[in-house]
Amino acid sequence: MSVIELDNLRKTYSATPALDGFTLRVERGEIFGLAGPNGAGKTTVVECASGLRRPDSGTVRVLGLDPRTQRRALLQRIGAQLQEAALPDAIKVGEALRMYAALYDHPADWRELMDEWGLTGKRRASFGGLSGGWKQRLFIALALVGKPEVVFLDELTTGLDPAARRTTWGLIRAMRERGVTVVMVTHFMDEAEALCDRLAIVDQGRVVAQGTPRELIARGRAASLENAYLTITGQEQS
Amino acid sequence: MKGLTRVTAVELKLIMRDPMSAFFALAFPVIMLWVKLRGGNKPLPGGPATVDATVPMLCAFVIGLASLIVLPTTLAQYRERRVLRRLRVTPASPVVLFGAQWVAHMLLAVLGSGLLIAIGAFGYGLSAPADLAQVVAGWLCAALSLSAIGLLIGALVPGGRAATVLGLSLFFPMVFLSGAVIPRESLSGSMRAIGDLTPMAPAVQAIRDGWEGNPASAATLGIMVAICLVAGGVAVKAFRW
Repeated sequence: MSVIELDNLRKTYSATPALDGFTLRVERGEIFGLAGPNGAGKTTVVECASGLRRPDSGTVRVLGLDPRTQRRALLQRIGAQLQEAALPDAIKVGEALRMYAALYDHPADWRELMDEWGLTGKRRASFGGLSGGWKQRLFIALALVGKPEVVFLDELTTGLDPAARRTTWGLIRAMRERGVTVVMVTHFMDEAEALCDRLAIVDQGRVVAQGTPRELIARGRAASLENAYLTITGQEQS
Repeated sequence: MKGLTRVTAVELKLIMRDPMSAFFALAFPVIMLWVKLRGGNKPLPGGPATVDATVPMLCAFVIGLASLIVLPTTLAQYRERRVLRRLRVTPASPVVLFGAQWVAHMLLAVLGSGLLIAIGAFGYGLSAPADLAQVVAGWLCAALSLSAIGLLIGALVPGGRAATVLGLSLFFPMVFLSGAVIPRESLSGSMRAIGDLTPMAPAVQAIRDGWEGNPASAATLGIMVAICLVAGGVAVKAFRW
């Protein structure tokens, strides 16, 4: 059984289809990327899979659970960092981890987690004063505080400088090494190429291509994943 | 339960770290108490000593401030910054998340009221409340009704700034007309008539009644319960994460 099974999802926002027959399988333990132009439906997929949105039709199973009817049970077993979601500026790193841990039935030890992700030195720092890279590190730790089997990351590295992005890649790989399945939305093809075991290219609400980065490069007859992506989504510059 | 207490504790700390809300809920009412009693603790027309009327009045002021300004600002800011969306992808139920916000903001009002009572008692010879249970009941009804309105503001406005502006523009006319700052006894008849139409008036009345030993008015408490149910119901329906 796949960890995530999405079948023929449809979702329309005021006459514009966001998802139009979206079907996807994600296997346990992989880092799976979702790439595609703005408005392609990537965020809607993540929102449907994490129970924040209901598709108009189609079926969603995450860890065998239906987010529509088993939302609370599902949320005990997944972690998510949504696009642009933040914390109050005045909250301290240690307080945030401890508070989020208290929301789960069987959380990780938040002090250990803080230590493992290198946040102990920042324990008393306020969220608002953290740099982009430290914020992402905290978001990753928060996404893991419920000991999830699946983690969704929506544009985690957008707005980071190149060094912080590289560090964040290392953190995402470290998540996979713990057996966590990672689903990440990204705009950066270098990131997808470096990190993802497999990825799906999404356009106009459906998957237009999927496979390992190597397979997609071969399919686009391209020199890099970025070129393959542009070919597949028809955005190639002449 | 663990989630509720933890989120409440963190929220209360966050409120206290904001210099504006800490000043307005804790220091400002104490300054007003001092201003009111600078001229001595004379009896008001109709009986009660100034301090015995002023402390209950300012308790309603503090409840109004926490409920109508601080609470909606927090909620709207959290929506704007997507703090609520992040919390929504945890297993915590909306009841826990909103319950914690409510309790934390009401604890701010408890702290503000406690401070006024302590300073009133030690500094100005405040009498003990005539009926403590009635004071507590009045305080709670005031908190429920005004915070339901605050929740409604938080549900309707787009962001934190708009919430503060709307909260302030409801709060200040209300406290001046309803007898939370100037005792009802000193207000002109027409001002009192307007003030009686605001949801702050029954809050002031109920707490003062309990303190001064006037019998509880079923109408006053009933109005507050009704406001709580109507405003709270609309707020829950209208709320957007």
